[in-house]
Amino acid sequence: MMGSRWTWRLLALPGVAWLSVFFLVALYAVVSVAFGNQNTLSEPVPFWNPLDWNVGYVLTVLRDIGSGGQYLTVFLRTFLFVGVALALSLAIGYPVAYYAARHTGRWRGLVLLALVLPFWINYLMRMLAWINLLGPGGWGTIVLHDVGIERLFIWLGLLSERGGWLDGQPTTVIIALVYGYVPFLILPLFASLDRIDQRQIEAARDLGASPFQAFRRVTLPLSLPGILAGSVLIALPMFGDYYTPDLVCASAKCNMIGNQIDQFTRQGSEKVTGAVLTLLLALVLLVLMAYYLRSTRSADADLRAGEA
Amino acid sequence: MSRLRNPWGRPRGLVLVTAVYVLWSIVPVAVAILFAFNDGRSRTTWQGFSTRWFTGATGSVFHDAALQSSLKHTLLLGVLCVLVATPLGVALALGLQRWRGAGSGSVNTVMLLPLVTPEIVMGVALLLLFLKIFPGIGLGTTAQVIGQVTFTLSYVVVIVRGRLVSIGRDYEEAAADLGAPPRDQLLRVLLPLLAPAIVASAAVVFAISIDDFVVTQYLSSDASTTTVSMLLYSSARGAPTPALNALATVALVITLATLALAFLVYRRFAGGSDAAVAAALEV
Amino acid sequence: MQGEVRLEGLTKRFPDEVVAVDGIDLTMPPGEFFTMVGPSGCGKTTTLRMIAGFERPTSGRILLDGLDVAQIPPHKRSVNTVFQSYALFPHLDVARNVEFGLKYKRLTKQERRLRVAEALDLVQLGGYAGRRPSQLSGGQQQRVALARALVLTPRVLLLDEPLGALDARLRKDLQVELKALQAELGITFVFVTHDQEEALTMSDRVAVMSAGRVEQAGTPREVYEEPATVFVADFLGVSNLITAEAEADGEGCALRIGERSLRAARGDTGARGEVKAMIRPERIGVEAQDAPGENRLPGMVERAVYVGTAHELHVRLVGGDLVKATIPNDGSVPAFAQGAPVTLHLPADAVRVLAPRPG
Repeated sequence: MMGSRWTWRLLALPGVAWLSVFFLVALYAVVSVAFGNQNTLSEPVPFWNPLDWNVGYVLTVLRDIGSGGQYLTVFLRTFLFVGVALALSLAIGYPVAYYAARHTGRWRGLVLLALVLPFWINYLMRMLAWINLLGPGGWGTIVLHDVGIERLFIWLGLLSERGGWLDGQPTTVIIALVYGYVPFLILPLFASLDRIDQRQIEAARDLGASPFQAFRRVTLPLSLPGILAGSVLIALPMFGDYYTPDLVCASAKCNMIGNQIDQFTRQGSEKVTGAVLTLLLALVLLVLMAYYLRSTRSADADLRAGEA
Repeated sequence: MSRLRNPWGRPRGLVLVTAVYVLWSIVPVAVAILFAFNDGRSRTTWQGFSTRWFTGATGSVFHDAALQSSLKHTLLLGVLCVLVATPLGVALALGLQRWRGAGSGSVNTVMLLPLVTPEIVMGVALLLLFLKIFPGIGLGTTAQVIGQVTFTLSYVVVIVRGRLVSIGRDYEEAAADLGAPPRDQLLRVLLPLLAPAIVASAAVVFAISIDDFVVTQYLSSDASTTTVSMLLYSSARGAPTPALNALATVALVITLATLALAFLVYRRFAGGSDAAVAAALEV
Repeated sequence: MQGEVRLEGLTKRFPDEVVAVDGIDLTMPPGEFFTMVGPSGCGKTTTLRMIAGFERPTSGRILLDGLDVAQIPPHKRSVNTVFQSYALFPHLDVARNVEFGLKYKRLTKQERRLRVAEALDLVQLGGYAGRRPSQLSGGQQQRVALARALVLTPRVLLLDEPLGALDARLRKDLQVELKALQAELGITFVFVTHDQEEALTMSDRVAVMSAGRVEQAGTPREVYEEPATVFVADFLGVSNLITAEAEADGEGCALRIGERSLRAARGDTGARGEVKAMIRPERIGVEAQDAPGENRLPGMVERAVYVGTAHELHVRLVGGDLVKATIPNDGSVPAFAQGAPVTLHLPADAVRVLAPRPG
């Protein structure tokens, strides 16, 4: 448009203002409360001026972590859950994404539709479905018992009692996380694999590589950015997840850091500690967020260059 | 010969894995939908087909006060969120895409941040915002709308920008050349060409809003601001009737219908530009 | 003075320090078909876009009938553009596309419809009013773009490589049509192309550009027959450039090539020292070995190429330069085949002295 450059900045202004107030300032509120205090009514009192900051609550939490206390346990458990869930998600998601990207002919549209569908089904509905299936007498419980998987899991120590899938089992939480998040991994993986030029693989085969070698030396490395991006994309929300453990486990044994934060902030009146934990979580995840932003920013630069 | 056509061989194993995955992914939900039509109160034992949980006289989605209220509130939030986020997002997309010079990079980063911020962080942040900075607004419907708009904005921007790139600048220059002042370049040329993307992003915002949980829960004030997601969460482990399944099914149907409609509109008017869809999926 | 465009010291420097247009001066007389031609990156499109108003000049003036329009936004200038990509609005049908700019003139709906019909007839698309751009062929889209611009009766029409996307035969046809249209309407056409043949056949006046500067401006005949610089000579048609040493020869210029000396009557006859002698292939006479007369050089035929309309001989001179000479094909077997020693006759008034560009 031939308007001056200020036209464009003016158009962007409302959106920028909105994000500044309702996002940036909101984030700063977390910081101010984390470094704030709690009054006699157990309400949080934020300290806006960095010079006034009270490090009391932050130190308490850090000391707890440093001495192997409750918060450290929860953080470690969260890392464990997310790590295992991520590994399982990749193990399941990569072959599916690979198939969808490189093989389908006639069924392509249908397969893609099936892969996209979970996106639009309410996450809680999907969890609700599992609660139905894994409850006592549920079809899932029955099938797992009949097929012998229940026995296997008990033997492996992954299940503590028969039919007790929903009774404080970390295993169930991990499986639920995988179920919940793997669709969000498959699509970026698919996009990345789809973009690989078939001719490169054909060239590798032409030069004598077996199918497996061609995969290992051409496809896999080329899809690595997609793997990393997809992993970050689901790890971030997984770290903050509290509703999944709450729904399928409902026991302190499965508490992830999200649960801790939720219990302090929304359910209870320890908002300052909750804010501290939120801040800590955000800092831990900052590395992941920065990585993802950088990879999308180069894509964004391509977008703008493409238009110029 | 067949080797060259399938240089990566062994497709059968992958077909199996994919088929199993798709079944594993969809069947539980299908079962849940099935039980929404159960004749009895059980959610695990099939007792015959009935629509009582949808339209029955008591305890059904259409006659139970709590269920009805949650559905209405969910739709209300969805509509309000779309009405605010869409124009805001379109304007931001236009401004960002054409912004030359200082500041555009940081604005772009801030715009992308909500997409990578875990919802609990956003929930806590917004909760504290409305408790400490805007106590006048406080928690409730307004806060819920504001919260939802804040993170759906980015989706609108990404989708609209994708379309902007494929449109390019030629049409606006042509319009200017023919005598159209900047306002008309926007209204008579650019916006009509953007319309499919705007519709698509509105549908996406609506779907996301309906399914949203964390932020909506954190900013709710009392039972009147309960949404379908929140009801599902609070009732799931209790001993609910299949009415819960029915509620979830209704919400699902609304979401899918909206998306299908938007998809058709987009296809008809945009001649199938995949850039925006790919961009949306990328994120 | 309807439709005269004058560029004075026009410069465009982009933010990344690239100087696309470097202080050019050009006059495009009213009612003429004026072409800017040059290789890609020479600045011709940027210049055109500045005349249209899509780029703001860094410095200089753009005078449209005496009025400096450099700071006037494009929608207020009475020039119209035909884009390389046609830029037909996909959401409007042909009639609405053509009508688009008319909404800014004070006309009734009736008058608008009339003008649209006239414009479409002008480009021979009378029955296409209801079609959508996506239903048209490339050539048809181009005509709609033309009609859309012409319906506004601009004083100057700018055309940015409008024939670039068309296949060869369609291009030739449209070249003729465009030229005829311009002559009929009497509007100034400012045409941009990288195709030198197109420039020569269509234009009343040509400006050859390179690296942001105008190398030469003149009639097609002037720039072809009397190129001012090596670049122009090389860009338009085929030219032979022979390295020579220029010396005084009474009032004229003698070019020393090896042991021979040529008399040169054209070009920079005042130059001394190392120069290029330029001569067109069709002006060279090919004679038998050791033929007598002035302005003759010995050589050996390296290749004889049959081009259909002519025979092209690639002759290696004693000094090392390769020269192309063309002999029209009159149906007879050519006298000189590959490997044959020949004498080339370079008539004095066909030899142009081109001094090397300073700096």
